[in-house]
This record gives sequence, C-alpha cells and structure tokens, in this order.
Amino acid sequence: MIDIAVRIIVYGAVVGGIWALVASGFSLIFGVARILNFAHGIFFILAAYIGIVLSKSGVNPYLATIISVLLVGGFAVAIYSGLLARIKEHEVMVIIVTLAIALLVEQMLIIIFGEHGISYPALISGVLKIGKTPITYKRILAFVVAIVVLALLQLFIHKTRTGKMIMASSQNYEGALLVGINVDRIFVITMFLSAVLAGIGGILYTQVFAASPGAAMKSLIFAFAIVILGGLGSIKGSIIAAFIIGYIITLANQFLGAQWAEFAALLIIIAILVFKPTGLFGVEE
Amino acid sequence: MKAGAGKMDLKKIVLGVIFLAASLIAPAVLPEAYVYLLGMMFLFLILVMSWDVIVGYTGQVNLGHTVFVGLGAYTAALMQVPSRFEGSIDFLAGMPQAPIPISILAGGIVAGLFGFAIGVITLRLRGYYFALVTAILPLVFMKSVFVFSEIFGGEEGFSIGLERSLAGDVTLRYYYALMLFLLSFAIIYAIVNSRIGLRFRAVRDDEDLAESIGVNVVRYKILSFVVSSFFGGIGGAAIIHYRITIGPDLYDIPLMLLIILSAVIGGLGTLYGPVFGGIVIYLMKSWWLREMLPSIPEWLPINDDVILYAILVAVGVLAPEGIWGKVKEFIRERSEIKSSQST
Amino acid sequence: MMRKVLILVLLAVLIFGCAQQEQKPEATPTPKPTPTPTPKATPTPEKTATPPPFGGKKEVVIGVIGPMALPEGTAEKNAAMLAAKEINEQGGILGLKVRVVVGDTKLKPDEATKEFRRLATEEKADMITGGFSSGIMSAMMEVMAETKTVFLADASSPAHPAMVAKEYDKYKYWFRISQNNGSTFAWDLAEMIDYLRDQGVTVDKVYIIRDEHIWTDAVMKGLTPLLEERNVEIVGDEKVPRGYTDYEQLLLDAQDKDADLIMPILAIAGTGDVLAKQWAELQIPALLAGHDLAAIDAGFYEKTGGAANYYIFLADGGVLVTAPPTEMAAKFVEAYKKEYGHYPESHQAYGAYDAVYIYKMAVEAAYKAGEKNPFDPDVVVKYLEKYKPGSPAKLTRNVAFHKNHALVWGDDYVRNWIAQWQDGKQYIIYPSTVANGQLKLPPWI
Repeated sequence: MIDIAVRIIVYGAVVGGIWALVASGFSLIFGVARILNFAHGIFFILAAYIGIVLSKSGVNPYLATIISVLLVGGFAVAIYSGLLARIKEHEVMVIIVTLAIALLVEQMLIIIFGEHGISYPALISGVLKIGKTPITYKRILAFVVAIVVLALLQLFIHKTRTGKMIMASSQNYEGALLVGINVDRIFVITMFLSAVLAGIGGILYTQVFAASPGAAMKSLIFAFAIVILGGLGSIKGSIIAAFIIGYIITLANQFLGAQWAEFAALLIIIAILVFKPTGLFGVEE
Repeated sequence: MKAGAGKMDLKKIVLGVIFLAASLIAPAVLPEAYVYLLGMMFLFLILVMSWDVIVGYTGQVNLGHTVFVGLGAYTAALMQVPSRFEGSIDFLAGMPQAPIPISILAGGIVAGLFGFAIGVITLRLRGYYFALVTAILPLVFMKSVFVFSEIFGGEEGFSIGLERSLAGDVTLRYYYALMLFLLSFAIIYAIVNSRIGLRFRAVRDDEDLAESIGVNVVRYKILSFVVSSFFGGIGGAAIIHYRITIGPDLYDIPLMLLIILSAVIGGLGTLYGPVFGGIVIYLMKSWWLREMLPSIPEWLPINDDVILYAILVAVGVLAPEGIWGKVKEFIRERSEIKSSQST
Repeated sequence: MMRKVLILVLLAVLIFGCAQQEQKPEATPTPKPTPTPTPKATPTPEKTATPPPFGGKKEVVIGVIGPMALPEGTAEKNAAMLAAKEINEQGGILGLKVRVVVGDTKLKPDEATKEFRRLATEEKADMITGGFSSGIMSAMMEVMAETKTVFLADASSPAHPAMVAKEYDKYKYWFRISQNNGSTFAWDLAEMIDYLRDQGVTVDKVYIIRDEHIWTDAVMKGLTPLLEERNVEIVGDEKVPRGYTDYEQLLLDAQDKDADLIMPILAIAGTGDVLAKQWAELQIPALLAGHDLAAIDAGFYEKTGGAANYYIFLADGGVLVTAPPTEMAAKFVEAYKKEYGHYPESHQAYGAYDAVYIYKMAVEAAYKAGEKNPFDPDVVVKYLEKYKPGSPAKLTRNVAFHKNHALVWGDDYVRNWIAQWQDGKQYIIYPSTVANGQLKLPPWI
C-alpha cells in the first residue's frame, strides 16, 4: 500500500512538473500578449528532436540540451516577429495561423523521422529504490529541474526589472506603454521565455518517455486543458492546475488502466469548466 | 426579402447556373476517380456551410465543429452495423439495418441534440475560453472512439459494407451527393436569409445591443448551434454512406482546419463564399496537390499537407481581417447601398 | 482587396494544376532494365522474341500500399521495388516490364481507400500488395471488391479470411501472404510458454500489455483458453493506445502482482523500444517475452541502447535477418542490404517480395496452361489457389494458402518463430527445427 502511495506521489509530481513548465509557458505569452499560441506544442517537441539530432552528431548530451532549448527559443521569436506580430490583434487568426504552423511542423517531423518515437540519450541513469519501489533517476531529475526552473521563473517575474515589466504589460497594455516600457520588446522576450519553458519540458519528457510527432499535439492539448482549468492569465493557476492534472492522470493510470487515464482527465476538466467557466483562478475578462 | 441589389443578384444567378450545369455534366466528361472526388467535395461543402452558420452568421467561433461531423457519421455507421452493440448495449444490437435516408437524418438529429447540449453548456463561456473549450471537445469524442473500441472501432474504424452505400455505381453516388448538397444549401440559405438569420447577425454584430432591442440572445445562440450541428451531422452521415468506411479522422483537427480555411478564404457570413472556398480548397488538396507530389524532390521534407498548411499560414498572415474585418466591410457596403437606394 | 487577389491567384493555380494533370508523372522511379533479357532462375517457357499482346498490355503494374511514414510501409515499398528490379533484369513477367506504384495509407481508412482506388483505377495496378493494420484492411477490401484487383496482403485479423469464406465471389481477390492470422500468435505464444517451462522457467502469472486495437482482441480470444489449459493466471491485461510511453507504471504494477512473465502484444503502439528500456532500467524480476513488431527490426538493439538484451519476441512472417529459412531468403536479405544500405526494417518486406514473385509465378503458370489472358484477375486467383497445403510456393518462405486464402501455419510453412535478442544479435530459440541459439536469462532474474 505504502509503495503504491509513494509511487503515485512521485510519478504524479514528475508528470505535474513537466506539464507545469509547458502550461506556464503557454499562460505567459497569453497573459502578456493575448496570443493563444497553438504552436506551443511544437516548441515542446522540437527541442527534443533538435537535441537528439545534435547528440547523434557527436555533441555532448548536456550541451545539446542547452543548445536546442536556445534554438527553439529563437525559432519562437522568429515566428512571432515574422508572422504573429502583424496579426496579433486578430486573435482568431492567430489561433488559425499557429495551428497551421503546428500541423505543418508535425507533418515535416513525421516525414523526416517517421511516426514512431525516438529516444533521447540518457542525461542520467540508474535507479533509486524507495522501499520496494524503484524510481529512475531520470524521473527525479525531471522533477528537480522542473521545480528549479519554475522557481527561477517566479523569481525572474517578481524580482527582476524585466520581469516586472512583463507583469506590467500583461496587466495593462496601454498603461505600460504610457510608462515608457518598450512593450514590443517585452513581447519578444516573453515569446522566447515561453518557448524555452516548453522546450525544457519537452526534453525532460523525452528523457522519461520518448519523442514522437504526436507528442506535440498531446502536450498542446494538455497545456490548454491545464491553462483553462487554472484560469487564463494566471501563471500560479497554471502551475497548480498542472499538478492537479498530473495527479489525476497518475491516479487514473493506476486504478483505471492506461486507456482511461487521459480520457478521464479531459472529462474532469470539462466538468469543472461547466461549473466555473473561468477556471479555478481565472481572471474575469 | 431580397438579398442585396439587383445587379449582384444577376451575377449570382449566372454563376449559380454555370455551377449547376457543370456539376450535372461532370460525370460524362471526367474519369471515374475524379467523379468520386467531386462527390466527396459536395459533402465537404455541407460541412463548410454548416460552420458558416454558427461562425459567420452568429459570430460564435466554434473550433469544435468536427464533433458534430463525427457524431453524425458514427450514428449513421452504427445504424448500419448495429451488431457492434453486441456485448455492451444489447437491445440496440437487435435493431434492423436502417434505410439510408433515415440513417442520414438520424445522424443529423443526434448531432443536433448534442449541438443543443453543447450550446447550453458553453453559453457561459466567453471569448477565449469558448474557443479553447470547443477546441478540445472533438478530442474528447475521439478518445471515446478508442476507449469504446468494440462499438466504435477504435483507431481504424469499420466498414458498413458496399451494399449500404448511397449507390453502388460511382456516378449515381455522385448525383446523390450533389442532390444532398443542393438541398442543404437551399435550406440553409432560406434560414440565414430569413428573420432568424437577421437575428443571428444581430447577435454577431453586437450582443448587448441585440439584447437591448429585444433579441433573445441566448435562444438564438442555441438555435444557431442546433442548425449548424444538424447539418454538420447530416454531412458526416452522408460521408459515411459515400465512402463506406468510418474512422476517427472525422473528429480530427486537420478536418477542422480544412473547414476553417475554406470558410475564411471564401469569406465568412456569405454562404456563397464558404462554398466557393470549399471547392477551391478541396480540389486543391485532393487533386492538384496530389498531382504535384511526384515532382517534389525526395530530399525535401514536404508533402501535400505541408503545402496546404503553408498556404493557410500565408493567407492568415496576409489577410488577417479575413473574418471580422471583411464581414464588417461587407455589411457597411450593404448598408451604404441600402441607404443610397432609399434616397 | 487582398482577398480578391488571393482568390484569383488560387484560381490560376488550380487551372494550372488541372493542366498539369494531363502529363501523368511516374509515381515512383521505374527500375531501368538491363539490355540482356535472358531469363535465369525462374523456369519461364521458351518463347519467341515478341511477346503476345494480351489485349494491348504494355506493362505490368504492381501497387504497394502501406503507411509510408512507418518502417512497415517503407519495407514493403523497398522490397517490392527490389523484386521488380530483379524481375525486370531477367526479362520481366512474360516479357512485359514491371512498374511499381506506391500508395500511402497514412494509417487512416479514408486515405487508404482513396489511395487503393487510385492505384487500382488510375494507375491500373494488376496486383496490389501491402496493407498493415487490420481495421484499414477491411476498408480496403471493399474497394478491392469493387475494382476486382488481386490483393496480396498483410494484417492479421481472422476477420479478413472470414470475409473471403463468407462471400467468396466478392472477396476472392484477397490473399494473406505476409504473416499468419492473429489466432496463430496465440498458438505460438502458448508454445513459447511451454518452451520456457521446459527450460526451467516458472511461468504461472502473466501480465499482458497489448495494443488498444481490434487485432489484439482476436489474439486474446485464442490465447485465453490456451493459458487456462496450462494453469497460467493472467494477473493483468492493459490496453495501451498508439504512442503510449508510460510503461513504468505498468511494469511496477506487474511487479506488485508477482508476474513471472510480462507479455507484450504490440504492433501499432510503436513504442516497444520504450518498453524495453524501462524494463531494463527498472530491472523488473520478470521475463519480457511476447509479440512486439518493433523488436523484429534489425536495428532495435541499437535503438534501445542495448536495453533489448534478453527480450524474447515472435518473429512474424517467419524470417529473421540472422536466420533466413530458405536460400532465397538469405539472398534477398543481402540484396536488400546492398540496395538500401540496411537490412529489412520490418518483416513486411518478405511478404511484399514474395507477393511480387508469387504473382509472377501464378501468371506464368496460367500462360503455360494456355489461359488466353493470364493477367485476368479471376484467372490469377485460380492459379494462386494452387499453392495450397502440400504444394507451397518456395520463396523467402514456404507460402501456401488455405481455402479462405489465409496463410498456412506450420513448421514447414510459415510460423512466428520464438526469438531472443542476445548481445546485439537475434537468435531463434524455438522450434528446434530452425533454432540457432539457446535461451538466456537476464542476470537480475
């Protein structure tokens, strides 16, 4: 019994941590620039693929991780500046364009790498035994990194100057402009951050599982569901919702079986939304 | 109520006649494989038109339209192969195979019922929440196909058998599809150009204003959902009787994107626009892009889907006012014409 | 207005595209025949320099249909193209050149039926091979019945030969050539347990992890009574969707339930490598043995970084790169490596290769027997049926068909050999008639 409890706590935390990274990235760019980035899942998976390609060509896996995350951030900035910046007032168009980009990149990944998953070289290996339950170091690493990054994110937003400017822009666009904040630059920085968060999440995910083109859409759907649950525009909400969903999935996996896990999670989210349409910590528009 | 000034009517009538004539003689001049394609296209147009009702005419950006397509499709399919209910909902398994028109109608009705329910549930959601929640709905239904795979057939679906198609002969099937499209077009046209349609547009343009002049916004939003979902379901059911096989792809995102692309290029809120857009997009995807495939060099990671999405990105970035702006302009033009007429 | 310009551009592009349609491009590059047409290995009848017209037929078109984004699809395509190339080098089929055309199902029934129809009616394929995935197969069989195209197919659901048996005249064009029915997997899995027990391994509790897909339902139907007979308890039966990767929880669940054997029944999930990796990393005290398409791939060991070591799997289709059952199989495997730089990435390759050759053999036999049009599908079906139990076609495997056109299962025909990965190589450990290795247990058990 204790073993199962330990297992659920640890696994749920790992899944929650990874999704928290992804969801907070999505929430960040929405909160600041009102952009619903349907291509967010692509950043998640692209970092993993780029990392795999780099390390296959001989680059040290740790270095490959850092490079690919930065590259994905750059890609996000390019998408924003090149495509989204000029249409960001038309929110529905942004959805359509980012969705098209997501499907486009997914197709290209399928063509290049095939539909089956590929593995990321191990950043760490070995197993830690808590009682009878073995827990791979990969999972522990994933959790630790996720928490550290999230903590750094909070610090950045609340303590640094740029972070405060980001907060200001998200709360009041015109006000920020008036105060002299270069809001466009803030948007670019936020886009970069958002993608970096997704990218780190993607690599951690691939460590424990595998990278496949389908994971892009999957992570997007979970990002949505989490952000809606937590309330659009609230990073704190996204993080908490991510852990809630992580635990729901883990519990469902344990007690209802693999098939039901994701289905159950989605049903619960919809149910919650019926009662509280702005999510748990949502900001009323 | 006549729609628009006399000059515009003539253009539309001429175009309509040409279109009708072309569709009627198509099977005589085209090889069979293309006739098959065109038939599917007409059914696709029903999907696009039905989406225009809720988005173009009523202003509710429903990103989950494929829920209704899939529901209509699975309803029809299961009515043709009721044996699939064996072992789960046994009393349904004993149903006799439904005649085809009933099957298609049932698809529409079931979809319409869900449309009503979803309309009610999502009423309280505004703006982004509405878009996001409707976006994930189809995926929930898709998951149910996998989880209850004994009934729904899981990932690869099932076939309803050649005898249950609209017609054994491809040409005849084509004509049935064409007829269904014309029928749907006529009904939807009648609805959106009636007082109901007027109220839809009032809701779209300014909800609060509409409420204040006595339009029951809630009622018309739900009505729009029901109409939209009913025809979406009809389209889905007809598709099953056309291609004989069913699969979860009718719930999936790429189909939704094709519908969106067609309606946006054509011009939302005009009915003719989305039909035209649908023809262009469908033919492009199934015909021209497929022909282009062999000439794409092997080393380039591109296939027909990639090109389609790239076009969508281009359209979206270059003509973003696509939805709201153009429609507003259209309305402004019309009201200008109206006011110049009355002087 | 921008939109009007856009629409005009699109119209122009559409018209241009329709014009293009006049010149039909080749779907795949045709293998160039060498100038010496002397026939070699296959016994073709002596004939005059100009071949008989067969109603103006200029070439033989072979269609390959499958999921081209997956190794199963590309293996089929590569194998068929290799067979066509070899046949053309020897003069073609009855003097006619062979051309291969490819269709991509994208694992979607809608795409699959569209592509099948295109290959059959536009490309005028004489024979189509491939398939993969039982649900899609059923859909394509309907189109096949409409177009009356000989279909030498894959997939494993017993529902397909059942269709042939029930409505012979409609579905008789279908033959299964790549592997045995799903029900035979049950027999092989049961015999695998017998073998393990013979070798001293305790197998009382089995934890099953299978594809959430109709094909595994058929296998389970056959397997459950066989396990009961052997007093084996099924302590877990988990269905996983495509792309599933969270095996760790399942593996630990199996450990909790004291399973002796973790039995995967996977093909569509595509994540056998993750299962192997997680099993090895957690060092679960249970054998990993069952049916996993991914493990058959020669590159699987490398893909898992060696975690596949000790993984026991069924070799579908009866051929393993390191243990070819016939001489033709051995030659094919090397020819494949030479042509494509790697060994066949999936067992569907053997089915596709055999399909092209058996079609050739059937057509030639028909011609020899005096049939007016040996390419007529009804005629071809008659001659394919001559390869029945007792008189198999000796190709990369010994191929014979039952009355319902299912592939004959047996030691002298096609069986799913029990194999195991050992230190980077695949060894057949059972049955002893073809075994070239012994069972090895992982050190932590």
